[in-house]
Amino acid sequence: MSTAPAPQPPQQQTQQGKAKFNVYTIEECPACGQKTKRSFQVGDYITKDGANCSKCGNVTKITLIYAEPVVKSK
Amino acid sequence: MPTLANMSLQFGSDVSSLLNIVWLLSFFVFIVYGQRIQVYIVGNDISRALNRLKLMKDKSRKEAVDYFLSTGKTSADPAVKIDEFLEYVTIMPVDLDPQGIVGKIEHITETRDDRVRSEVKKMLPNAEPIKVSVAENILEIASSLNMIHKIVRHYYLLGKKTNSYILLVQLQMIMPQVLMEADALINAVDTFKLGQPVGDGIGPIIASKYMVNLPKQVVAKDTVMSVTEYKGRTLYVLKAEGPMGYVGEPGLAIQRVIEEMNVPLNAIIMVDAALKLEGEKTGDVAEGIGAAIGGIGTDKFRIEEVSAKHKVPVYAILVKQSILEAITVMRKDITDASDRVHTLIANLIEEKTKEGDKVLLAGIGNSLGVGQ
Ligand SMILES: [Zn+2]
Repeated sequence: MSTAPAPQPPQQQTQQGKAKFNVYTIEECPACGQKTKRSFQVGDYITKDGANCSKCGNVTKITLIYAEPVVKSK
Repeated sequence: MPTLANMSLQFGSDVSSLLNIVWLLSFFVFIVYGQRIQVYIVGNDISRALNRLKLMKDKSRKEAVDYFLSTGKTSADPAVKIDEFLEYVTIMPVDLDPQGIVGKIEHITETRDDRVRSEVKKMLPNAEPIKVSVAENILEIASSLNMIHKIVRHYYLLGKKTNSYILLVQLQMIMPQVLMEADALINAVDTFKLGQPVGDGIGPIIASKYMVNLPKQVVAKDTVMSVTEYKGRTLYVLKAEGPMGYVGEPGLAIQRVIEEMNVPLNAIIMVDAALKLEGEKTGDVAEGIGAAIGGIGTDKFRIEEVSAKHKVPVYAILVKQSILEAITVMRKDITDASDRVHTLIANLIEEKTKEGDKVLLAGIGNSLGVGQ
């Protein structure tokens, strides 16, 4: 299993109390196990079909949606 | 005869004795009016918190109205109907004779939920089920905040009216917790609006892993089940139907599997989110025995009844989180617990059952954003 560098569209931040979160969607290819992390889009849900796998072209499935605290970069 | 000058000499006219008098006076003021002063200070404190609660309540109401307006062509102004919802009361059954009360509570809450859903559907006639479920959830949040505000205001006004120091101080003491809960609720609105999984959805997420690509059957209202095979055991996996924001009726579902479908279960494994204690880490996993399910208690009752009657052991796996984390967007700390939970499930199945056995796995929680 490898994590490919995913294209990152403009991120949607969620404010939660004092902390800020980015919400990500993980798409996983059932054939080769390739995982892609991208920003959450409205309509995403776990087990929904995702985009085609960048490695083998199979249809991926969304396996996880989670929020990570925003890390102030650089 | 003492003259005026003498008198002032007697009482002392210098600054220090003046201070003495002020000090003595304040002493009396505090003895006589101390409690009133404290009532005033405590009252101010509560009124500030009450204002915050009011802001939150108004915001959640506005969010609900906006959601209805943006989601579908509503026939009339949704605000009127929403205000009606917020004042909706559920009258709990009398408990003088508690025999059979769970059935009554279940009946009442079911009727209420059905009523809310049918009204929401009427207001959003062409909306998908997921949007209807989100609207239901937002309405529930708004009505909780409305209720919290109302109750706090009641005790605040009562305390002021009766000048009851004790009442106000008690209210002041619990205010931080009340605010914390209200804060969690208002933050939850955003997550629900976007249809993102919530922390409480960890149970359904675990269950959905076993259900992908399998046929599903509806076993109770909003509850689906798949049958699969795991290391020689038949595995019955159930969860609330996603990606709608449902919690389903796992109690009734488990009862039906055992009593109506006549499946001789050898073990029930329940995975649920649990409130962590302060100091515990989010995403900690705890194992235990017993029905791991929250709510008003009807599902828990059913599971305990049926499992005791048929002597089926019930194992629990809990993922710790705070109230805020449970009803707002799923944190990575919580999903990181998945691997550990899957290992525990595998261990339980292997250690507590043998090949040919039948095991039921229930993913308890709100399945918003979690399909199957
Ligand atoms: Zn692939």
